[in-house]
Amino acid sequence: MLTQQLVNGLTVGGIYALIALGYTMVYGILKIVNFAHGDVFMMGSFLGLFFTEGLGMPLLVAFPLAAAATAFMGIFIERIAYRPIRVADKLAVLISALGVSTFLQNLAMLIWGTGTHAYNSGIPVITYRFDRLVLSNIQIGVIVLCLILMTVLYLVVNKTKIGIAMRATSESLVSAQLMGINTEKVISFTFGIGSALACIAGVLVGTYYDAVYPTVGYSYGLKAFAAAILGGIGSIPGAMLGGFVIGIVETLGAAYLSAGYRDAFAFGILIIVLIFRPSGILGRKTVDKV
Amino acid sequence: MKKSMKRILAFVLVATMGLSLSGCGSKKEETIKIGLGTPLTGTSAQDGQAIQNGVNLAVKQCNDAGGIDGKQVVVVAEDDKGDSSEAATVANKLAQDDSILAVVGHFNSSCTLAGAPIYNQAGVVEISPGSSAAAVTDAGDYTFRVITTDAVQGGYLADWCVNELGYQNIAILYENTDYGLGLADVAQESTTELGAQVVVREAYEVGATDFSTLLTKVANVNPDVLIIGGLYNETALIAKQMKNYGLEDLQVMGVDAIFSDALIELGGDAVEGIKLTGYFYANSDEEVSKSFVEAYEAEYDETPGTYAAYAYDAALIVLDAIRNAGTDRAAIQQYIAGLQDFPGATGTISFDENGDAIKAPLKMEIRDGSFVVID
Repeated sequence: MLTQQLVNGLTVGGIYALIALGYTMVYGILKIVNFAHGDVFMMGSFLGLFFTEGLGMPLLVAFPLAAAATAFMGIFIERIAYRPIRVADKLAVLISALGVSTFLQNLAMLIWGTGTHAYNSGIPVITYRFDRLVLSNIQIGVIVLCLILMTVLYLVVNKTKIGIAMRATSESLVSAQLMGINTEKVISFTFGIGSALACIAGVLVGTYYDAVYPTVGYSYGLKAFAAAILGGIGSIPGAMLGGFVIGIVETLGAAYLSAGYRDAFAFGILIIVLIFRPSGILGRKTVDKV
Repeated sequence: MKKSMKRILAFVLVATMGLSLSGCGSKKEETIKIGLGTPLTGTSAQDGQAIQNGVNLAVKQCNDAGGIDGKQVVVVAEDDKGDSSEAATVANKLAQDDSILAVVGHFNSSCTLAGAPIYNQAGVVEISPGSSAAAVTDAGDYTFRVITTDAVQGGYLADWCVNELGYQNIAILYENTDYGLGLADVAQESTTELGAQVVVREAYEVGATDFSTLLTKVANVNPDVLIIGGLYNETALIAKQMKNYGLEDLQVMGVDAIFSDALIELGGDAVEGIKLTGYFYANSDEEVSKSFVEAYEAEYDETPGTYAAYAYDAALIVLDAIRNAGTDRAAIQQYIAGLQDFPGATGTISFDENGDAIKAPLKMEIRDGSFVVID
């Protein structure tokens, strides 16, 4: 049972990690928490369903389209909800993010109704049995895809021109601007990438559990946010690590202690880590200049 | 001109006053009033509306057949908004009107409980069409309900599962709410009493999508049956995810909380063969249910739901009591308390000493994408 539960934990953790990347990248650049990110994930999931089942597109066309649409949605949200108040207090941005979150949930309810939908994305679920261990292609896909995306993201951030611009913006928005970096473009790019990753996570969640509903973003968003904090917010490898740690801890806690306290294990580990390492596992210690 | 207008107006007013006064006096002899306290606005409005439809239908049928002793029956409907303080106001209003002989209501358990002390003090019967909480049992002599407690269904399910189907190793998954916990407790107690054993029992959060951990645990102990204490959404997801853990042949059982077309829509093939208990079934062959469904469809142009059927039964009982016991509130209470084997749309109803309905649930199964009653 332990191996099976570890696989379950890795799968959930991989999904948390994919969403957590969006939180951590935006925080890294703008120092704001995009609380609408969980709902972007939900919209991505619904858009994936819309392009496949709704419009009957083949998978290889539908998924890039859904990811692109979600990326544009992320960029658009930043443009209208965050950019106009960027110079204002950080609290204003936070409230704006919560507003966007509520808006997206209600939009989804208006379009798709309040109920739970079956997720016929067209990806066949194939299960493989090894003695008592059962693996599905989706589980393997989630884990492998997470590792690939993490590597790609690492290369983008560290080896490309836009990556250098991102890191510069993250160091200091104003200095980067003075050095001639188009920081608005960098910010849009960050929101776009984060949202596309959330869309991929959304499609994977929908397919794996065969369900999507308008408020699904809340719990996934919260856990992914916890994962980003746990790993050290602002750190990309940290978000990945945080996602896997939370996924595995909550699964093992639910498996061997009590499933009713599943969420308590997820947030319990967050609290314990923060007591000993307030900046998260891989977070950089920063000193706020007064 | 103006003066004469005023004079005419005054005359008309006085005349209508006189008419309405005399109306009161004579009409009291001609109509019989029953009260209805139900949420007509607010979050439970949909169920409340169904309840009103059910009551109105029963009264209309009674009036069409000549009323009671030649008197027409009138329903006085009040909106409790599904809110317990509002329900107390409604209860006061209905109980203080002496012409109202009995009340159908309320829907939410909290509202039934809020109204209970008022109805009991005034000595007027309230029959709830939808409150299944355990506390309603002790609410008073004048408080009845046509729905059974969660404990009754849970116990019946356990008997079906252990004694009839012979399952010995039971797995229970339930939602982490008062409702789910109560049902899980009843299922565990009753199956254990019958000699079976609960090999795994776990809770999940309402709205959960990931059941991998729970189902891995279930698969690990290899039970004979899985009892679900929750609603249809999660049940459909559990049924669908079971195949990932080699559990596609495990029997799933539940109570009427999973009785919804949404279960089949969402679950598809995976929910085929799920067994559940329930009371009302729109395609029933029972005479009362069948004629109720036909009349309801003719009147409202839609298939009646469970609560419309419960409300119809509650109204039938009130009308039957007035017909047999007369127009004295206390006599009506006496009659209902002694009622045995009353045929209703939701089954044959008797009341125990606490005013709770005693009736045997139906056994249902999902076959070929629809609910069917078995044996």
